Formats: sequence, structure tokens, C-alpha cells
Amino acid sequence: MLAEVGFVDIQISPPYDTFGGARGEKKARLFEVYGHTFLAHKPGSP
Amino acid sequence: MNNELLVDPAALREEVKSKYREVAHNPNGEHHFHTGRPLARRLGYEAALVDAMPDAAVESFAGVANPFALRPLATGEKVVDAGSGAGFDCFVAGHQVGPQGKIVGVDMLPEMLEKSRRSAELMGLTQVEFREGLLEKIPVDDGWADVVISNGVLNLCADKRQTFDELWRILRPGGTLQFGDIANGKPVPAGALRDIDLWTG
Repeated sequence: MLAEVGFVDIQISPPYDTFGGARGEKKARLFEVYGHTFLAHKPGSP
Repeated sequence: MNNELLVDPAALREEVKSKYREVAHNPNGEHHFHTGRPLARRLGYEAALVDAMPDAAVESFAGVANPFALRPLATGEKVVDAGSGAGFDCFVAGHQVGPQGKIVGVDMLPEMLEKSRRSAELMGLTQVEFREGLLEKIPVDDGWADVVISNGVLNLCADKRQTFDELWRILRPGGTLQFGDIANGKPVPAGALRDIDLWTG
């Protein structure tokens, strides 16, 4: 989606175990759901 | 691209409002996710900065990652937080950009906006402002933002293409989008994708 919109230089962080130990952990593990940080730029100069 | 919506945006919005209204009023209640200071520690936020914040500024934090992990903000930057909740990431951002910068937090929930405005005032963060609005129609001028941040909110928007188009619109050319969100390693069954309860819990 980011690339489709036009963003470039896309980076994704390693996963965070966002739901570990929380009530939603079981469901998160079922679909391997983790948090990530995403970074991207809009092309061009200010 | 096929932009068919999997769920009704208005119905999803009401479900999200209900869930996060509870987080605003009862942050230590029974939620399916972590909240507050324990979550901030889990996601690697700067401990000294979080420790210095009053409880009200942290307790309703319900993000899923750390938007500042790959790139800290620079002094003087103008930042929009898309889906600012109780304002925690705006307060971190306000610290990073300093008094020369400007932070605009946008959220649809009056309870969260009220809480975030009180906390900003309590901490004397005059460079942080909160506006009511939807991420599908962000109340910020074209190209205003040097940086757009968000945390755990974009996955809750039914029309992701429209939402990302809005983030693009408010960013200046050369601007940065840095956000926390979830991703699944295993495919979710088609039927489940249309189940609003699974979107929010």
C-alpha cells in the first residue's frame, strides 16, 4: 500500500511482541501478529 | 488496485469508539492489549522521558510499536499524529521537536481529546495541539507536515487507501511517514476479514 500511494525508501523494523502476556496473545499467536515500525518518505524537496 | 472495503466504515468506527472510550475511562481495565507504562517499556520508549510524565499522560497509551524507533524527530519539525488517542506519542514528539516545533494530534474520540488536552496543559506543552477529526479527512492543510506519525490506528481504518492518500496529502514533499502498526505472518481467513469483532479484538 505504501508503495502504491507513492512513498519511497520504505523501512520496516524487527517485530515487537506487542501482545505477549496480554489477553489477546492467543489470537495474536494464531495469526503471528506482531507490531512493527514503518518508515517511508514522500518524494520531492521542500 | 481493488479497493473493495471489507467492513462498513461507519460500523467499524463505532466499534473502535466504544473500545477506546473504555481505554480512556478505564485504562487499567480488562483489555486484549497492554496499556500505559508497562506497554511503553515493552516498546522501548525512553524510560526517563516516560517516567517524568504524569500518569494521565501515559495510562491510556495503547500503541503497538514505537514510531520513533527508526528515526527520532528533529528540533523544530512540524508533526501530525494520526489517531492521537490520549496524546502519549504527541508528548514524546513534543519533547523531541522542542518549543520551536509544532505537533497536531488528530483523533475522533472526544473523551481522548479532552484527556490529551488536559495532559498537554498540565505538562506545559504549548507546541502540542489536538483537533477532532477522522483519518479519512484529516483537518490539516495540504503539505503542512514535515512528519506524520501514527501508532496502532491505521489497521483500524476500513478504507486504508483513502487514509494513506490523506497522509500523503498533508505531508510536504520530502516529508517522512513513520508509524507503528501490526502485521500478520499467517493469512487471516476471508470470512474473518469481514468480522468487525476481529478488527478490534
